[in-house]
Amino acid sequence: MEIIDFIKVIEDEFEDLTPGTLSPYSVFRDMDGWSSMHALIFVALIDTTYDVLLTGEELKSCITIKDLFDITVLKINGGGINA
Amino acid sequence: MNDLKGKQFFITGATGGIGMVVVEECLKRGAVVFATGRNESVLDAQILAHPEFTFIPADLTNPDDLSSLIKLLPPLDGVLFGAGIIDPCPIKFIQQKHIDAIFSINFDSICLLTSLLAQKKLLKDKSSLVFLSSVSSEFPYKGGALYAASKAALEAYAKGIALEFSPKGIRANSIRAALVETAMFEKTKNALTTEEIAEVVSAYPLGIGAPLDIANAVLFLWSDLSSWMTGSVLNLDGGLLLNSKK
Repeated sequence: MEIIDFIKVIEDEFEDLTPGTLSPYSVFRDMDGWSSMHALIFVALIDTTYDVLLTGEELKSCITIKDLFDITVLKINGGGINA
Repeated sequence: MNDLKGKQFFITGATGGIGMVVVEECLKRGAVVFATGRNESVLDAQILAHPEFTFIPADLTNPDDLSSLIKLLPPLDGVLFGAGIIDPCPIKFIQQKHIDAIFSINFDSICLLTSLLAQKKLLKDKSSLVFLSSVSSEFPYKGGALYAASKAALEAYAKGIALEFSPKGIRANSIRAALVETAMFEKTKNALTTEEIAEVVSAYPLGIGAPLDIANAVLFLWSDLSSWMTGSVLNLDGGLLLNSKK
Protein backbone atom coordinates (compact mmCIF):
# COMPACT_ATOMS: atom_id res chain seq x y z
CA MET A 1 0.00 0.00 0.00
CA GLU A 2 1.29 3.45 -0.94
CA ILE A 3 0.53 6.58 1.05
CA ILE A 4 -0.73 8.30 -2.11
CA ASP A 5 -3.53 5.72 -2.31
CA PHE A 6 -4.27 6.16 1.39
CA ILE A 7 -4.61 9.92 0.89
CA LYS A 8 -6.90 9.35 -2.10
CA VAL A 9 -9.20 7.17 0.01
CA ILE A 10 -9.44 9.97 2.59
CA GLU A 11 -10.00 12.70 0.01
CA ASP A 12 -12.70 10.62 -1.65
CA GLU A 13 -14.46 10.22 1.68
CA PHE A 14 -14.47 13.86 2.71
CA GLU A 15 -16.34 15.50 -0.14
CA ASP A 16 -15.48 19.00 1.05
CA LEU A 17 -11.79 18.31 0.51
CA THR A 18 -10.42 19.39 -2.82
CA PRO A 19 -8.34 16.53 -4.27
CA GLY A 20 -4.65 17.27 -3.78
CA THR A 21 -5.26 19.25 -0.58
CA LEU A 22 -3.76 16.65 1.73
CA SER A 23 -0.11 15.73 1.94
CA PRO A 24 1.54 13.08 4.14
CA TYR A 25 2.41 15.83 6.61
CA SER A 26 -1.04 17.45 6.80
CA VAL A 27 -2.33 17.62 10.36
CA PHE A 28 -5.67 15.92 9.99
CA ARG A 29 -7.25 17.65 13.01
CA ASP A 30 -6.65 20.96 11.20
CA MET A 31 -9.23 19.98 8.56
CA ASP A 32 -12.07 22.51 8.29
CA GLY A 33 -14.81 21.81 10.82
CA TRP A 34 -12.90 18.97 12.53
CA SER A 35 -14.98 17.25 15.21
CA SER A 36 -15.19 13.94 17.01
CA MET A 37 -17.46 12.79 14.15
CA HIS A 38 -14.50 13.14 11.79
CA ALA A 39 -12.50 10.96 14.16
CA LEU A 40 -15.21 8.29 13.99
CA ILE A 41 -15.23 8.51 10.20
CA PHE A 42 -11.46 8.02 10.05
CA VAL A 43 -11.73 4.94 12.27
CA ALA A 44 -14.65 3.51 10.28
CA LEU A 45 -13.04 4.32 6.92
CA ILE A 46 -9.81 2.56 7.84
CA ASP A 47 -11.78 -0.36 9.27
CA THR A 48 -13.90 -0.87 6.16
CA THR A 49 -11.15 -0.16 3.62
CA TYR A 50 -8.20 -1.93 5.23
CA ASP A 51 -9.88 -4.17 7.83
CA VAL A 52 -7.85 -2.41 10.53
CA LEU A 53 -9.53 -1.25 13.72
CA LEU A 54 -7.76 1.71 15.34
CA THR A 55 -8.33 2.28 19.04
CA GLY A 56 -9.09 5.75 20.41
CA GLU A 57 -5.65 5.74 21.98
CA GLU A 58 -3.98 4.96 18.66
CA LEU A 59 -5.93 7.68 16.89
CA LYS A 60 -5.03 10.17 19.61
CA SER A 61 -1.34 9.36 19.15
CA CYS A 62 -1.50 10.33 15.45
CA ILE A 63 -0.91 13.90 14.34
CA THR A 64 -0.38 13.75 10.58
CA ILE A 65 -1.83 11.71 7.74
CA LYS A 66 1.49 9.87 7.62
CA ASP A 67 1.10 8.87 11.27
CA LEU A 68 -2.30 7.39 10.43
CA PHE A 69 -0.87 5.63 7.41
CA ASP A 70 2.04 4.23 9.41
CA ILE A 71 -0.13 2.83 12.20
CA THR A 72 -2.51 1.34 9.63
CA VAL A 73 0.35 -0.39 7.79
CA LEU A 74 1.80 -1.55 11.11
CA LYS A 75 -1.51 -3.12 12.09
CA ILE A 76 -2.01 -4.70 8.68
CA ASN A 77 1.34 -6.37 9.30
CA GLY A 78 0.22 -7.58 12.72
CA GLY A 79 1.61 -4.81 14.93
CA GLY A 80 0.12 -1.97 16.94
CA ILE A 81 0.91 0.50 19.70
CA ASN A 82 0.20 -2.05 22.37
CA ALA A 83 1.50 -5.03 20.44
CA MET B 1 -33.75 1.37 51.34
CA ASN B 2 -32.84 -1.05 54.11
CA ASP B 3 -35.48 -3.49 52.95
CA LEU B 4 -32.97 -5.14 50.61
CA LYS B 5 -31.51 -7.23 53.45
CA GLY B 6 -31.65 -10.95 52.68
CA LYS B 7 -33.18 -10.37 49.25
CA GLN B 8 -31.63 -11.99 46.21
CA PHE B 9 -30.48 -9.97 43.22
CA PHE B 10 -28.86 -10.74 39.90
CA ILE B 11 -26.68 -8.17 38.12
CA THR B 12 -25.40 -8.38 34.55
CA GLY B 13 -22.57 -6.10 33.54
CA ALA B 14 -21.28 -6.42 37.10
CA THR B 15 -17.68 -5.82 36.10
CA GLY B 16 -18.49 -2.47 34.48
CA GLY B 17 -18.21 0.83 36.31
CA ILE B 18 -21.90 1.03 37.24
CA GLY B 19 -22.46 -2.67 37.86
CA MET B 20 -19.58 -2.90 40.32
CA VAL B 21 -20.97 -0.08 42.46
CA VAL B 22 -24.43 -1.66 42.43
CA VAL B 23 -22.83 -4.88 43.71
CA GLU B 24 -21.04 -3.00 46.50
CA GLU B 25 -24.14 -1.09 47.58
CA CYS B 26 -26.25 -4.27 47.63
CA LEU B 27 -23.74 -6.12 49.77
CA LYS B 28 -23.53 -3.16 52.17
CA ARG B 29 -27.28 -3.48 52.68
CA GLY B 30 -27.16 -7.20 53.41
CA ALA B 31 -28.49 -8.41 50.06
CA VAL B 32 -27.48 -11.67 48.42
CA VAL B 33 -25.87 -10.94 45.06
CA PHE B 34 -25.40 -13.09 41.98
CA ALA B 35 -23.47 -11.39 39.20
CA THR B 36 -22.00 -11.89 35.79
CA GLY B 37 -19.69 -9.83 33.64
CA ARG B 38 -16.89 -9.91 31.12
CA ASN B 39 -13.89 -9.34 33.35
CA GLU B 40 -13.96 -10.91 36.80
CA SER B 41 -10.39 -9.74 37.45
CA VAL B 42 -11.48 -6.11 37.90
CA LEU B 43 -13.62 -7.00 40.91
CA ASP B 44 -12.27 -6.17 44.34
CA ALA B 45 -10.88 -9.19 46.22
CA GLN B 46 -13.09 -8.38 49.23
CA ILE B 47 -16.18 -8.54 47.05
CA LEU B 48 -15.12 -11.81 45.44
CA ALA B 49 -14.59 -13.29 48.90
CA HIS B 50 -17.87 -11.93 50.32
CA PRO B 51 -20.06 -14.82 51.53
CA GLU B 52 -23.18 -13.31 49.98
CA PHE B 53 -21.57 -12.76 46.57
CA THR B 54 -21.48 -15.27 43.72
CA PHE B 55 -19.84 -14.50 40.41
CA ILE B 56 -20.91 -16.58 37.42
CA PRO B 57 -18.71 -16.11 34.34
CA ALA B 58 -20.83 -16.07 31.19
CA ASP B 59 -20.95 -14.66 27.69
CA LEU B 60 -24.56 -13.50 27.53
CA THR B 61 -24.53 -13.69 23.74
CA ASN B 62 -23.80 -17.42 23.92
CA PRO B 63 -27.01 -19.52 24.30
CA ASP B 64 -25.10 -22.34 26.04
CA ASP B 65 -23.68 -19.90 28.61
CA LEU B 66 -27.18 -18.51 29.19
CA SER B 67 -28.56 -21.98 29.82
CA SER B 68 -25.74 -22.79 32.25
CA LEU B 69 -26.11 -19.46 34.01
CA ILE B 70 -29.82 -19.92 34.59
CA LYS B 71 -29.22 -23.23 36.35
CA LEU B 72 -27.07 -21.47 38.97
CA LEU B 73 -29.54 -18.74 39.89
CA PRO B 74 -31.99 -18.85 42.81
CA PRO B 75 -35.47 -17.26 42.73
CA LEU B 76 -34.80 -13.53 42.47
CA ASP B 77 -36.21 -10.38 44.04
CA GLY B 78 -34.60 -8.15 41.45
CA VAL B 79 -32.43 -8.05 38.34
CA LEU B 80 -30.28 -5.31 36.86
CA PHE B 81 -29.72 -5.71 33.15
CA GLY B 82 -26.57 -3.63 33.01
CA ALA B 83 -24.48 -5.32 30.33
CA GLY B 84 -23.95 -3.37 27.15
CA ILE B 85 -21.49 -1.95 24.66
CA ILE B 86 -21.30 1.39 22.83
CA ASP B 87 -19.09 0.86 19.73
CA PRO B 88 -19.89 4.06 17.75
CA CYS B 89 -20.06 3.90 13.95
CA PRO B 90 -21.13 6.53 11.39
CA ILE B 91 -24.29 5.42 9.55
CA LYS B 92 -22.74 5.12 6.07
CA PHE B 93 -20.21 2.61 7.41
CA ILE B 94 -22.69 0.35 9.23
CA GLN B 95 -22.47 -3.32 8.24
CA GLN B 96 -24.36 -6.35 9.51
CA LYS B 97 -21.44 -7.14 11.86
CA HIS B 98 -21.91 -3.78 13.62
CA ILE B 99 -25.66 -4.34 14.04
CA ASP B 100 -25.07 -7.85 15.36
CA ALA B 101 -22.34 -6.73 17.76
CA ILE B 102 -24.47 -4.02 19.38
CA PHE B 103 -27.87 -5.71 19.36
CA SER B 104 -26.68 -9.16 20.42
CA ILE B 105 -25.56 -7.87 23.80
CA ASN B 106 -27.64 -4.68 24.29
CA PHE B 107 -30.96 -6.20 23.26
CA ASP B 108 -31.09 -9.85 22.11
CA SER B 109 -29.32 -11.29 25.16
CA ILE B 110 -31.68 -9.43 27.49
CA CYS B 111 -34.76 -10.72 25.68
CA LEU B 112 -33.47 -14.29 25.89
CA LEU B 113 -32.39 -13.94 29.51
CA THR B 114 -35.71 -12.53 30.70
CA SER B 115 -37.51 -15.27 28.82
CA LEU B 116 -35.42 -17.94 30.52
CA LEU B 117 -35.87 -16.33 33.94
CA ALA B 118 -39.63 -16.44 33.42
CA GLN B 119 -39.65 -20.00 32.02
CA LYS B 120 -37.67 -21.28 34.99
CA LYS B 121 -39.89 -19.36 37.44
CA LEU B 122 -36.89 -17.49 38.81
CA LEU B 123 -38.69 -14.16 39.11
CA LYS B 124 -40.48 -13.99 42.44
CA ASP B 125 -43.88 -12.36 42.65
CA LYS B 126 -43.38 -8.60 43.17
CA SER B 127 -39.79 -8.78 41.97
CA SER B 128 -38.34 -5.75 40.19
CA LEU B 129 -36.45 -5.69 36.90
CA VAL B 130 -34.26 -2.70 36.05
CA PHE B 131 -32.97 -2.08 32.54
CA LEU B 132 -29.99 0.21 32.02
CA SER B 133 -30.80 2.45 29.08
CA SER B 134 -29.36 5.72 27.87
CA VAL B 135 -30.54 9.27 27.19
CA SER B 136 -29.42 8.62 23.64
CA SER B 137 -32.53 6.48 23.12
CA GLU B 138 -34.44 9.74 22.73
CA PHE B 139 -31.60 12.21 22.17
CA PRO B 140 -29.11 10.41 19.91
CA TYR B 141 -25.62 11.62 19.15
CA LYS B 142 -23.66 11.48 15.91
CA GLY B 143 -22.10 8.07 15.38
CA GLY B 144 -24.33 6.49 18.01
CA ALA B 145 -27.41 5.60 15.94
CA LEU B 146 -27.08 1.85 16.49
CA TYR B 147 -26.45 2.19 20.21
CA ALA B 148 -29.38 4.61 20.58
CA ALA B 149 -31.63 2.26 18.60
CA SER B 150 -30.64 -0.71 20.79
CA LYS B 151 -31.50 1.25 23.93
CA ALA B 152 -34.81 2.49 22.48
CA ALA B 153 -35.67 -1.13 21.69
CA LEU B 154 -34.72 -2.11 25.22
CA GLU B 155 -37.01 0.52 26.75
CA ALA B 156 -39.91 -0.66 24.62
CA TYR B 157 -39.20 -4.26 25.61
CA ALA B 158 -39.13 -3.32 29.29
CA LYS B 159 -42.58 -1.77 28.91
CA GLY B 160 -43.81 -4.99 27.33
CA ILE B 161 -42.50 -6.94 30.31
CA ALA B 162 -44.13 -4.49 32.71
CA LEU B 163 -47.48 -5.17 31.09
CA GLU B 164 -47.13 -8.91 30.63
CA PHE B 165 -45.75 -9.64 34.12
CA SER B 166 -48.02 -7.23 36.01
CA PRO B 167 -50.47 -9.98 37.13
CA LYS B 168 -47.68 -11.31 39.37
CA GLY B 169 -46.81 -7.84 40.59
CA ILE B 170 -43.46 -8.04 38.80
CA ARG B 171 -42.27 -4.56 37.89
CA ALA B 172 -40.01 -3.46 35.02
CA ASN B 173 -38.46 -0.01 34.71
CA SER B 174 -35.66 1.56 32.69
CA ILE B 175 -33.02 4.01 33.78
CA ARG B 176 -32.04 6.41 31.05
CA ALA B 177 -28.53 7.37 32.10
CA ALA B 178 -26.41 10.14 30.62
CA LEU B 179 -22.64 10.36 30.86
CA VAL B 180 -21.16 8.68 33.92
CA GLU B 181 -17.53 8.68 34.99
CA THR B 182 -16.56 5.08 34.28
CA ALA B 183 -13.71 3.26 32.57
CA MET B 184 -15.84 3.32 29.42
CA PHE B 185 -15.91 7.13 29.58
CA GLU B 186 -12.14 7.21 30.13
CA LYS B 187 -11.75 5.13 26.98
CA THR B 188 -14.05 7.46 25.04
CA LYS B 189 -12.02 10.45 26.16
CA ASN B 190 -8.99 9.03 24.37
CA ALA B 191 -10.63 9.76 21.04
CA LEU B 192 -11.55 13.34 21.96
CA THR B 193 -9.54 16.52 22.16
CA THR B 194 -9.30 18.41 25.46
CA GLU B 195 -11.63 21.06 24.04
CA GLU B 196 -14.20 18.44 23.01
CA ILE B 197 -14.12 16.84 26.46
CA ALA B 198 -14.62 20.25 28.09
CA GLU B 199 -17.55 20.96 25.77
CA VAL B 200 -19.21 17.64 26.62
CA VAL B 201 -18.79 18.15 30.36
CA SER B 202 -20.03 21.75 30.24
CA ALA B 203 -23.39 20.56 28.84
CA TYR B 204 -24.21 19.04 32.25
CA PRO B 205 -25.61 21.63 34.71
CA LEU B 206 -24.85 19.28 37.61
CA GLY B 207 -21.67 17.88 36.06
CA ILE B 208 -21.36 14.36 34.69
CA GLY B 209 -22.58 11.53 36.86
CA ALA B 210 -20.88 9.08 39.18
CA PRO B 211 -21.66 5.35 39.15
CA LEU B 212 -23.21 5.75 42.60
CA ASP B 213 -25.81 8.14 41.14
CA ILE B 214 -27.07 5.30 38.96
CA ALA B 215 -26.67 2.65 41.68
CA ASN B 216 -28.88 4.67 44.03
CA ALA B 217 -31.64 4.71 41.43
CA VAL B 218 -31.31 0.96 40.89
CA LEU B 219 -31.66 0.33 44.62
CA PHE B 220 -34.69 2.62 44.70
CA LEU B 221 -36.33 0.73 41.84
CA TRP B 222 -35.62 -2.58 43.60
CA SER B 223 -37.01 -1.35 46.89
CA ASP B 224 -40.61 -1.10 48.07
CA LEU B 225 -40.27 2.70 47.87
CA SER B 226 -40.99 2.38 44.16
CA SER B 227 -43.73 -0.25 44.51
CA TRP B 228 -46.18 1.67 42.29
CA MET B 229 -43.65 2.28 39.48
CA THR B 230 -43.67 0.02 36.47
CA GLY B 231 -43.13 0.63 32.77
CA SER B 232 -41.42 3.88 33.66
CA VAL B 233 -38.33 5.44 32.17
CA LEU B 234 -36.28 7.39 34.68
CA ASN B 235 -34.03 10.12 33.27
CA LEU B 236 -30.75 10.44 35.18
CA ASP B 237 -28.82 13.11 33.37
CA GLY B 238 -27.53 15.82 35.71
CA GLY B 239 -29.78 18.27 33.87
CA LEU B 240 -28.30 17.53 30.43
CA LEU B 241 -31.67 17.50 28.71
CA LEU B 242 -32.48 20.97 30.05
CA ASN B 243 -29.99 22.16 27.45
CA SER B 244 -31.47 20.04 24.69
CA LYS B 245 -32.54 21.95 21.59
CA LYS B 246 -35.58 19.69 21.29
